[in-house]
Amino acid sequence: MEIKISETSGVSVATLSGEIDLQTSPKLRGELLGLIANKRPLVIEMSGVSYIDSSGVASLVEAFQTARSKNLGFSLAAIGEAPLRVLKLARLDGVFVIHDTLENAIIANGGN
Amino acid sequence: MTCETASETESTRQLEILASMGRDFAASGDIESIFSTGLERISAMLNAEGGALFLLNDNGDKLVCHASFGPVDISGLTINATEGIVGRVVSTGVAEIVRDVSKDLSFNNTVDQKSGFTTRSILCASLAIKDEKIGAIEMVNKHGGDNLFNNEDLKLLETLAASASLAILNARMAIELVEKEKMARELELAAEIQKSLLPLDGDSDSPVAGVNLAARVVSGDFYDFFELQDGRTCFTLADVSGKGMNAALLMAKTASLFRCLGKEAPYPGNLISRINAEVVETAARGMFVTMLIGVYDPEAGTVRIANAGHEPPILLRSDDTVQSFTAGMPPVGILPDIGMGKTPEETIINLDGGAFYVFTDGVTEGYIGEKELGAEGFIKFIRDGKNMAPGARIAAVAKHIKEGSSILRDDVTILVIDDGAAFIKRKQINTNAKKSMHGDKSNGESNPDAPNGEGEIAKISVPAVAESLKLIRRAIESASGNCGLGKDTIQDVVLAVDEACQNVIRHAYGGVNDGNIILNISRNAQSLIIEIRDFAQRVDLQKVRPRDLDDLRPGGLGTHFIKEVMDEVEFKVPNDGLEDNKGNILVLTKSLK
Repeated sequence: MEIKISETSGVSVATLSGEIDLQTSPKLRGELLGLIANKRPLVIEMSGVSYIDSSGVASLVEAFQTARSKNLGFSLAAIGEAPLRVLKLARLDGVFVIHDTLENAIIANGGN
Repeated sequence: MTCETASETESTRQLEILASMGRDFAASGDIESIFSTGLERISAMLNAEGGALFLLNDNGDKLVCHASFGPVDISGLTINATEGIVGRVVSTGVAEIVRDVSKDLSFNNTVDQKSGFTTRSILCASLAIKDEKIGAIEMVNKHGGDNLFNNEDLKLLETLAASASLAILNARMAIELVEKEKMARELELAAEIQKSLLPLDGDSDSPVAGVNLAARVVSGDFYDFFELQDGRTCFTLADVSGKGMNAALLMAKTASLFRCLGKEAPYPGNLISRINAEVVETAARGMFVTMLIGVYDPEAGTVRIANAGHEPPILLRSDDTVQSFTAGMPPVGILPDIGMGKTPEETIINLDGGAFYVFTDGVTEGYIGEKELGAEGFIKFIRDGKNMAPGARIAAVAKHIKEGSSILRDDVTILVIDDGAAFIKRKQINTNAKKSMHGDKSNGESNPDAPNGEGEIAKISVPAVAESLKLIRRAIESASGNCGLGKDTIQDVVLAVDEACQNVIRHAYGGVNDGNIILNISRNAQSLIIEIRDFAQRVDLQKVRPRDLDDLRPGGLGTHFIKEVMDEVEFKVPNDGLEDNKGNILVLTKSLK
């Protein structure tokens, strides 16, 4: 798994790629919580993610809850079929705010 | 001359009376009516106005009038054993003539007062055999003459009383004998009903067969089996504590519960727990049942058993090695909750073409000559019978035990589940499946994990660390792809296996990197099967449960994924001999249909 961090008009963007599993999810968790500490809304771009397991989903849930407790926006963007299937299995597809493109997600979170 | 003739006639009449009484006893089982006729004849012979026959009750403290003859019917009259003239005669055993009852202080005139009858004289003789007192015969008021009985009458009554005593005793013994025979017949009937509770013999080559030899007429052992709609067979074998009728009745109850509940929900652990709850509620104190319930799956070649205190069953594998499996629970009928707060333990055993034997201790404790058969002896017999059909094989063992000992000390019951035929069938299906897999070139690539033998696709052993998961995912991807599964399903299976391996890494080994995970990937005609073997602590199944999805929090999702995605998820106790069989096997099954 790789994580690229960027910032677009006041919105933090984490671009993930590869496989998120037990080996890589601790790193993901740390990065996401670090970004939320910046007090900016967070968009996670997932088009490059080929696999996510329960530990990866757990990292997303934790980040989502932390952001919400700080009243910060939190969205997933451009999620591929395979990881979306896993979110559906976890019945989380309705919990997360999911946008089909990164641009839409940034706009929805107050960026432009 | 006249006198002689008269006395001869007298003797002849006496003999006649005795003979007719004997005939009456032989002809009729109704002892009371015989008393009446006997008494009538004696009264007539002594020319008495009335008579009564008194017998001591079972306690010997009362005299009861069993027959009466004459103007006043006193049958049923009960007096104290020492009361009145009758009581005196019974106690002393000496026959008496009381010429004037009014002068006898013992005379009880209550009957006379009530009936208006006047008793003037009494003749009374005791009924006894040696020292055993039976009762007395009493004659009242002689017709004609001076209405008084004489010494000759007394002698005659004594003689008749002696014969009557013998006749009464005989009749009583005959009745007892009849009662005993009636009971024996009833017992035979009970045995017949019991036999009807055992399953009918299947075909001679049926893979599941049982045999039961009762040490007594009825048995405390039983076995039963029936085929489920999906082709599996639910079976049981049980031994009720104690012998005789009460054991037989508890056996009948347990057997009915098994049939009834087993058809409803054929899950061994759950079934044993439900039967236990019923038996505990109603069984007599101190009675219990050792019971083994199992389900045989001929398609998988496995038996899944729950054992409540029963003798360890034996698996004789096709390579002739033997394994036994000890009970996981106390016997049925002792504790209200047999699992002691947990789901009753189940064991899944791979038969792999072997034969599984369940039996009662009557088998291993049976004698061949002077020597107890023992588990060793039993194993020798079943090995010797290897080439026989399953049913014939265990029948032969039972016959050996029956003929080997002078008397059967305990019921002998054996049940066999022989996986031999199903194993061959599975092999053929697998071979065909492999042929069709090789023939199908549509996926354009050769299988890197080329299947070899028994439907095995791949076996990989990796260290139980997070770094191994990627490798595991690739292996599962490749294997499930080769089984013809679609893209989404492949992803699902990969996720489930990944999650299961994570559980091993994180929970079973507790993060300590000192163990391995072995993955055994195989398939049969219906399913892709992934066995995940670890060498960590036995998993507490109570703790393995998917989390509530409404509870939004990180973690706990893995088990939910596995259960959601796979068709069957089962923990199995290892039986491969690796590291003393420690650890766990999680079997994940995905249907290929």
